[in-house]
Amino acid sequence: MQILLQEIIPTYFEKEQFTGSEIWGKNVTFSKGEHVHIVAPSGSGKTSLIHFIYGLRKDYEGTISYQNENIKNFSLEKFSTFRQKNVSIIFQDLRLFSDQTVRNNIELKRQLNPYHPPEKIDEMARRLGIANKLNRLAKTCSYGEQQRIAIIRALMQPFDFLLLDEPFSNLDDNNRSKAFALVKEECDMRKASMIFADLKQLDFFNEERVLKL
Amino acid sequence: MVQTILPLLNTNKSKISKWISYFGLGIGVVLLLSAMQMFININYLLKENNPRKNGYDFISITKVITNENMGKDNTFKDDEINEIKSLPAIQDAAPLISNQYRVKASAGNIIPFSTDLFLESIDDSFIDTVPPTFNWQPGQTTVPIIFSSDFLELYNVFAPSQELPQLSGKTISSVNIVLEIYGATGVQNFKGNIVALSDRINSVLVPKSFMEWSNQTFGGVSKVNPARIYIKTKDANDPKLISYLEQKNYHLNKDKTKFGRIKKVLQNIVSALGVFGILVIVLALMLFSFYLQLMIARSKENLQLLLTLGYSPNWLSKTVAKTWIPVYVFVVVAAVVITGLMHYAFVKISFVERNELSYFLHWSVLAVGILLLALSVFTNYRLVKKNLSEL
Repeated sequence: MQILLQEIIPTYFEKEQFTGSEIWGKNVTFSKGEHVHIVAPSGSGKTSLIHFIYGLRKDYEGTISYQNENIKNFSLEKFSTFRQKNVSIIFQDLRLFSDQTVRNNIELKRQLNPYHPPEKIDEMARRLGIANKLNRLAKTCSYGEQQRIAIIRALMQPFDFLLLDEPFSNLDDNNRSKAFALVKEECDMRKASMIFADLKQLDFFNEERVLKL
Repeated sequence: MVQTILPLLNTNKSKISKWISYFGLGIGVVLLLSAMQMFININYLLKENNPRKNGYDFISITKVITNENMGKDNTFKDDEINEIKSLPAIQDAAPLISNQYRVKASAGNIIPFSTDLFLESIDDSFIDTVPPTFNWQPGQTTVPIIFSSDFLELYNVFAPSQELPQLSGKTISSVNIVLEIYGATGVQNFKGNIVALSDRINSVLVPKSFMEWSNQTFGGVSKVNPARIYIKTKDANDPKLISYLEQKNYHLNKDKTKFGRIKKVLQNIVSALGVFGILVIVLALMLFSFYLQLMIARSKENLQLLLTLGYSPNWLSKTVAKTWIPVYVFVVVAAVVITGLMHYAFVKISFVERNELSYFLHWSVLAVGILLLALSVFTNYRLVKKNLSEL
């Protein structure tokens, strides 16, 4: 699968906001398998871009296509099949069910199109150090813990592209490298791409492409 | 999969409106179904005696016989008939012409029965059952007869005591009746053949052509004033009609129309009950739709997140809607069972003595029950889908 960005500009942007950007107003192709790092300082529209690509927002000019189909024309039904099979996401604002247990939060994603057996949840939680939180309500976990829940959740399904929006912002260096290793491993397993948006370039990410937003 | 998404729906609030709507749906279904069953029962129990036809009543009027006018001429004159015909409440009127000679009937050797008889004739359009064989031409020796079904019933009451066989509506047509007509010129025999039974007209009817011919031939009269007139009216209980008849001292034979009226009134009451039932069902479904809207609005964030995570809107609508199917099935089945018990009690307790009515509900009532269930499930699904798509 390929994701194509053709001259997209958020409708609410002033011209000076995107001059010098390597994405806004340009033609960019993301192909399955390549890892892309989008370096985006605050206010450059990082989260907007991730939401545009995931199809949550439509307030942009230009075209975003999945497999040469304009996603502006997709129904929610059609998006749901892509979101189950091709595109997974880790939101900056996490978006967990706060009144559900950690395990339920992850299981809700896993059962939709299982890539891993349920035991994998325990294994990943152990690796990221939140195994003892699995039966707690999500809202009782710290932000750093919630970030790791969101990461595990995103890895429960098959995908060609994993969109990551500042996924490690609240993790210490140790946890950050553990989490990155897990994400990298899972992407390699699927031969999938990471589209990784963060404020600055990361030392441990040997990305193939760096794009400045 | 269903277990894990249901806790995401905020179903705990406004439970009262949920239960009221279930209860209302149940009551509405019971009302509608029992009204239907009662309508069918009434139709079944009262069906054979309905002399109304195409919305008209056919009733006979005679002049009231009092001590003062006894022995005088109490027949209707032409101008009186024309006056009756001209009344707005009366659509048509026809005289019953009777025989002006003596006639005796016997049933041959099989049934040793003989009696003096009277014959009458009326316009064919006033007879409820006119077979194509009901006509007569001069020279024909067989006379078709339409016999009152009340007379047949009467005959069957006294026949056993006279050691005569009882007759059914079908066998009576095969009885050979000999009509002996006594005229000035002597006796002439005709073969009488009962071709139909009439619920409407209490008489022994022969074709008009035979009556005119025989009155002329045997009675020597060409013009006969009738003692009875049949009227055709939309409403036998029209106050204007009744006051006119009273003022004229005419007697209205309302026995048969009363019966039809009662049936009509009963059916109207039961229909009104059914309409009320439909209204209650609609209200219950509306209340439920408000409850659904509220629930979906309260669970909006969770549902939106499910869609964001990749849950299909169609699957979500179906799953959310499916939650209520067991409740709907329970409510409608319970309502059908209650209706069935009520019907059973009606058949058991009521005056119905013969095994006329089945103890079970009519199939159409069950079909409507199933239809209502399907309707509830379908509206529920549509509502959920609509509300979800508006998130």
